[in-house]
Amino acid sequence: AKLNPAELLPAVHCLSFGPQAGGGECCLLQLEPGLCAELEAGRSLVIRGEKDEHAVLCSKDKTYDMKIADTSNMLLFVPGCKTPEELNADLSSCNIIHSQIAGFSKNYWELRRCRPKLKKLRKLLMEDPYEGPDSQTDQSSTFSKYTTEDLLSLIQASEEEILHQLQVIDACKIEGYWRILDFDYEMKLLNHVTQLIDSESWPLSKVPLFACLEELGSLEPREMIEHILSSYGRKYFDDGEVFFEMREDKICRAIAQMLLQNAVKFNLSEFEEVWQQSVPEGMTTRLDQLQGLALVDKSSRPETIFLLKVEDLPEDNQERFNSLFGIREKWTEVDITPYIQDLCAEKQTVGALLTKYARASMLNGVKVYNSRRPIS
Amino acid sequence: LSHSAGTGALAQWVLLELQGEVEPRQSGDLAGSLLGDLHYTCEGVPVLIVGHHILYGKVVQLEKPFAVLVKQGGASQPSPGAPHGHYTVTALIKTKLLFKTRPKPIITHVPKKV
Repeated sequence: AKLNPAELLPAVHCLSFGPQAGGGECCLLQLEPGLCAELEAGRSLVIRGEKDEHAVLCSKDKTYDMKIADTSNMLLFVPGCKTPEELNADLSSCNIIHSQIAGFSKNYWELRRCRPKLKKLRKLLMEDPYEGPDSQTDQSSTFSKYTTEDLLSLIQASEEEILHQLQVIDACKIEGYWRILDFDYEMKLLNHVTQLIDSESWPLSKVPLFACLEELGSLEPREMIEHILSSYGRKYFDDGEVFFEMREDKICRAIAQMLLQNAVKFNLSEFEEVWQQSVPEGMTTRLDQLQGLALVDKSSRPETIFLLKVEDLPEDNQERFNSLFGIREKWTEVDITPYIQDLCAEKQTVGALLTKYARASMLNGVKVYNSRRPIS
Repeated sequence: LSHSAGTGALAQWVLLELQGEVEPRQSGDLAGSLLGDLHYTCEGVPVLIVGHHILYGKVVQLEKPFAVLVKQGGASQPSPGAPHGHYTVTALIKTKLLFKTRPKPIITHVPKKV
């Protein structure tokens, strides 16, 4: 092939391999939309994962799976290599540009947005739940306690996702460490509050913080009283004072858990009666408050209900479905949805998950889903 | 566990994508050896001259830019399996020069021009 020098721009890059080029110290990371801008703005990206975990990349608020992509081509990275536009713009540039190839690779890291791996967060905090200031275990505790920094280094998720999840699970900071309350202690605190609301005849939508701290401050630490109010109520200001609008659904749900955790299963109608009697005056119990917490068995006579917490189930999609089909062979969409909702990726629907991991069939005129594989 | 931190303005590098293998002529290092000369036509078409081969390519603006990560210190086992370790983002790559014509193995040793 003949090349006509007249057709070429005057500048030429002489490419050679730099001193570090063969070292394999550089690698390429393909950036998803938004990440490039984040880097240019000076923000960090962090790769997280222990030796036994698949690595993930975290930006400030998102988490991505990392996967190696092979190309059949050779990718060489060249600093200071100019494009035709840049050469045309800078006509004074010297004609021979010596450029060093910094490195090369046949592959690069690909990113795929994924759900943050947050199950471990709960697991870590459950190692040593807070049982109250009088608890003996706290003083001589040999368990690990975790600060925000500790959690950031151990959990495969972005900082924002971690902080958000801490809020969702009602964790609180005690002496600089993130703690989850022991359930019995949590119920004890809740009970103090609901009894006080009842004896003072306060409306459930307007519970005054100040009065609660005054009345209950001698029984429990003030921070704990405020924490339980924040967990089970919505804080607002009225005329400069702090009030809480108590969350009926969450309170009823917690009381149901308290009742259900004491036995393998309950007679449904008996449970519903006891449950309604156990909740604060003015609150109404409804079975839909128990989504993702308990499951009703409509096939047994009499009908029964038992505790099944979604947070106790596996985090991995396939393992979650295996687990669910091990508990019950056939599920209706209504029943299974609360137990797979959290698996949905960005823009993925429950229907799409069911199509992928389950097989549909009809049972007595109702559409049900069962496992795609034989369960041993 | 690792950290990528961009300090100051990130350098912009360019990617050269070639078909085939890059092998040193002599056994041992690539370091220091010449690859070839990169020219552009007046129309902006990149032309790479490697040994006796002329490769024509094109300038591609990457839809998904790359970040160049450089491993920091420590034991540098080039493990393609896990990216564990400390990394710094050295540069961003938004442009690549893609050379598609496939020559025989690229010869890296080019006699120095006098």
